[in-house]
Amino acid sequence: MSDPKTIAVEFKRVMKSFGTKRVLNDVSFHIDQGQALCLLGRSGTGKSVTLKLIMALMRPDSGEVYVDQDNVVSMGEKGLSLVRKKLGYLFQDAALFDSLTLYENLALPLSRLTKKSKDEIDDVVHHVLTDVGLGGDGAKYPSALSGGMKKRAGLARALVLEPKILLADEPSSGLDRITASEIDGLLMRRKVEHRTALIIVTHDVHGARRVADRVGVLDKGNLVAFGSVDEVSQSENEVARKLITEGSNV
Amino acid sequence: MSRRYLGVGIFIIVGLVLFALGIFLVGSRHEAFSRHVLLYTEFTDLDGIAKGSKVQVSGMDAGQVTRIEVPRSPSGHFRVQMKVDEQLHGLVRTDSVVTVDTEGVVGNTFLTIHSGSLNAAIAQAGSVLQSKPPVTMSDLLSHGLGIMNDADATIKQVGGKLNVALDGINGAVGNVNDLLLGLKEGRGPAGMILRDEKMADQVRETMSNVQSTTSNLNQASGRVNVLVANIQQRDLPQKLDDTMTRIRSASTRADETIQKVQQSLAQALGPDANGVTAGQNVSEALANANVATGNMAEDTEALKHNFFFKGFFNHRGYYTLASLSPEEYRHTKLFGSTQSPRVWLQADTLFRHGPHGPEELTPNGKHAIDAAVASFGNPIFTHPIVIEGYSDAATPADALSWSYARAQLVRNYVDARYPFTTKNIGVMPLSATPPPGLGHDGWSGICIVVAEKK
Amino acid sequence: MRWLSKSVEFVGKVGLFGLRVVVDSLRPPFEFAQCFRQLAEVGNKSLALVVVSGFALGAVMTLHTRNTLVTFGATSMIPAVQAVSFFVEIGPLVAGLLLAGRVGSGIGAVLANMRASEQIDAIESLSIDSFKYLVVPRVLACVIALPFLTLFMDFAGLLGGFLSEELSSHIAPILYLNRAFEYLQWSNFIAPTLKTAVFGFIIGSISSYFGYTTDKGAQGVGEAATNSVVLSSLLIIVADVLLIKCIFFLFPETAV
Ligand SMILES: Nc1ncnc2c1ncn2[C@@H]1O[C@H](COP(=O)(O)OP(=O)(O)O)[C@@H](O)[C@H]1O
Ligand SMILES: [Mg+2]
Repeated sequence: MSDPKTIAVEFKRVMKSFGTKRVLNDVSFHIDQGQALCLLGRSGTGKSVTLKLIMALMRPDSGEVYVDQDNVVSMGEKGLSLVRKKLGYLFQDAALFDSLTLYENLALPLSRLTKKSKDEIDDVVHHVLTDVGLGGDGAKYPSALSGGMKKRAGLARALVLEPKILLADEPSSGLDRITASEIDGLLMRRKVEHRTALIIVTHDVHGARRVADRVGVLDKGNLVAFGSVDEVSQSENEVARKLITEGSNV
Repeated sequence: MSRRYLGVGIFIIVGLVLFALGIFLVGSRHEAFSRHVLLYTEFTDLDGIAKGSKVQVSGMDAGQVTRIEVPRSPSGHFRVQMKVDEQLHGLVRTDSVVTVDTEGVVGNTFLTIHSGSLNAAIAQAGSVLQSKPPVTMSDLLSHGLGIMNDADATIKQVGGKLNVALDGINGAVGNVNDLLLGLKEGRGPAGMILRDEKMADQVRETMSNVQSTTSNLNQASGRVNVLVANIQQRDLPQKLDDTMTRIRSASTRADETIQKVQQSLAQALGPDANGVTAGQNVSEALANANVATGNMAEDTEALKHNFFFKGFFNHRGYYTLASLSPEEYRHTKLFGSTQSPRVWLQADTLFRHGPHGPEELTPNGKHAIDAAVASFGNPIFTHPIVIEGYSDAATPADALSWSYARAQLVRNYVDARYPFTTKNIGVMPLSATPPPGLGHDGWSGICIVVAEKK
Repeated sequence: MRWLSKSVEFVGKVGLFGLRVVVDSLRPPFEFAQCFRQLAEVGNKSLALVVVSGFALGAVMTLHTRNTLVTFGATSMIPAVQAVSFFVEIGPLVAGLLLAGRVGSGIGAVLANMRASEQIDAIESLSIDSFKYLVVPRVLACVIALPFLTLFMDFAGLLGGFLSEELSSHIAPILYLNRAFEYLQWSNFIAPTLKTAVFGFIIGSISSYFGYTTDKGAQGVGEAATNSVVLSSLLIIVADVLLIKCIFFLFPETAV
């Protein structure tokens, strides 16, 4: 067991159902600061739900979810807003606010969750946008961006608050190989330069092998395998083995 | 961002301005912002006055009824509280009278405070004003109807006594009479009057005119009675009759006739010491009758032209006989039709030249007319009778004038002798040419027609 | 039976949603900027629609009533008929229905799309109360804007009626205005105008409900838009009946 001080995110016996449908069944795992976890699994197995539980956008039916040693399950709005400052979330389809420009999309979290002045916000937004390669697109509305640009913009929004933990829901799906690896690169840099913990939901095993310190495989609500890439590829669970080796053959 | 604020700002400001405008416009009608005094009055019958009913002072909107206290016993009165604009307070005196009025014939009821007399003190706030019980439209109408019947009788009397029938009087009385009946029964378009105030005012005005007219007529008929007694005493009737006949044929216009009547009477009765009063009496009486006729004719004319009554009148063709030209008459189906029974009487049997020039009826002529009337049987009581006059005089003007004189002569005889409704008898001068298709190409004399209306 | 219990459940959900709107709109923090933004969206952008329809409707109304009133010789009543019908019923109801069509569908679609594309989650992840940020301002904007839009509609209708009447009878503007307001009372100007705030609340909450609570993804967007328009239009008309009864009860003199 690792030192609790260094744990970034921990699930303890988490259960989650929608109606009669069990989405997460007794899931427990943890990752440390600066580590990257890749969550693999077929669609509809509860990967996005796992991320939303961390962000406290949903509450589990039972079990505990710790972010930086704070149990977000029992927390009130006030405490959550503190925890959420440490978290960045890249949504599956970026979820940029349609009615706001790219600049406003990035400025919103800063003006809401920090006490930065308008000039400081300007600086940060500009810096982050340049970082993801969208320096000149601040005045555009999301509808004017391509799929890859949207993902990068979503990533930029997730990063403006300098989160200690970054949640990314399928950051490279639906993108061409080159754009996908650009985004992987951005994530890697984040991990290396800022020691940001990453939890990445992905189908891209190739990328996962590059980035991940830990790999988790979800199947039918169960965490069927959890460990380093090598450990999972030798897992006794067939689905887990298949997922990780199939990807590498491509 | 600032453009958006600007837009929303303009939206809200203009909206508020419209709201204020609406409040102001509504408020200004209801004097919400002006000062008021409270006045009271009492009624035994409210006739539909309710809280919120309009109150006028001398015809100007002045406020509304704010409270009504209900009496405890049948002998009590409804006590009505009225809120009256301060500005109009000066018109309300201690002797002001409150009446219940109606907008239009069947519209809302409201209160009118009639301005008081100059000498009376201004009614203090909170004081109780006198009231006059409401007169409903139907009361007014039946009242009018009674008056009109009186007037009709009076005129008959005058006409009978003087052997005079002034066309105007007959027409006017007849029209008003039927119109009122129609209104009262809610018959025809009259029943459709909703809130046309002008119409209602006209009806009301006509009523009051008719009232004064009738008193004039009554006066006149009283005088005529006296006059006739006078004349009979002095064996003058024949002379008077002659004069009248001559004057009538001299002109078709009523006022001219009357002028000449006055002149002739002055001539005929002037020299006599007692005759001076008699002459004055007659001329006054006729002048009154003339004024009355004029009034009534005007009023009924106004009513007639009101669009509501257009249809009503159009359905009763014979009223407009006076306004039909002989040519139009000849081609009117109602009168020119072969279905209407006719009696043709020749000038030779009917007339002879009187001592002063114009023609008069011979005793034989009178018999012939009596026989003709008898031959029509019952319909003559219920149907319009037209007396067509014919003359084959050489010049067209003479022919027209003589044919008219002949028709009038016969009509006066018939009117005085038989109990036909005066308005049912019309005259039509047709010179020498009868309507086509009746078997007579030319005629000199009289034709009596009973219009059988299908 | 199942259908019945579902319907009752639905009424309960919508009722709670509406209650939440009321409670949340009174509880700080207030999203003033959002309210303003929505007010511009709901008010300013509907203005042209409302004014043009009001104007056209006013002109057409006069053309129709004119014929009838002329038959009865009540030409002088034309402005009053116009004003009373617009201020009392046509203005409020038509403005409400127009707004339900234009804004109701918009709110339903926008919120449903935000739900489907996880934008609402994104807002929550910034610790912003998405209900207060998205729903309350929209409802408030409808509540505030609709009475104003109704006034615009009323006066545009009056203007249309005036111009139409002016063309046929050359009536003087001041006379028209005087006659128009002759039969209007406070209660049938203010009450019908303010009742549209209720219409606004219906449009805002119903549309927001369908948009905010959808869970059918992209397919739910069109559905939410349609449902918003249908149900809010229907409820406006039903509410109108009840509100008129209430107004009659509160101001008996308007019930002639
Ligand atoms: N808000 C929700 N309401 C009901 N069911 C949900 C909800 N969110 C997710 N689910 C269900 O939970 C299951 C897991 O969803 P998700 O975590 O999005 O899958 P994935 O692993 O593909 O990201 C799915 O079957 C989905 O239908
Ligand atoms: Mg997912």
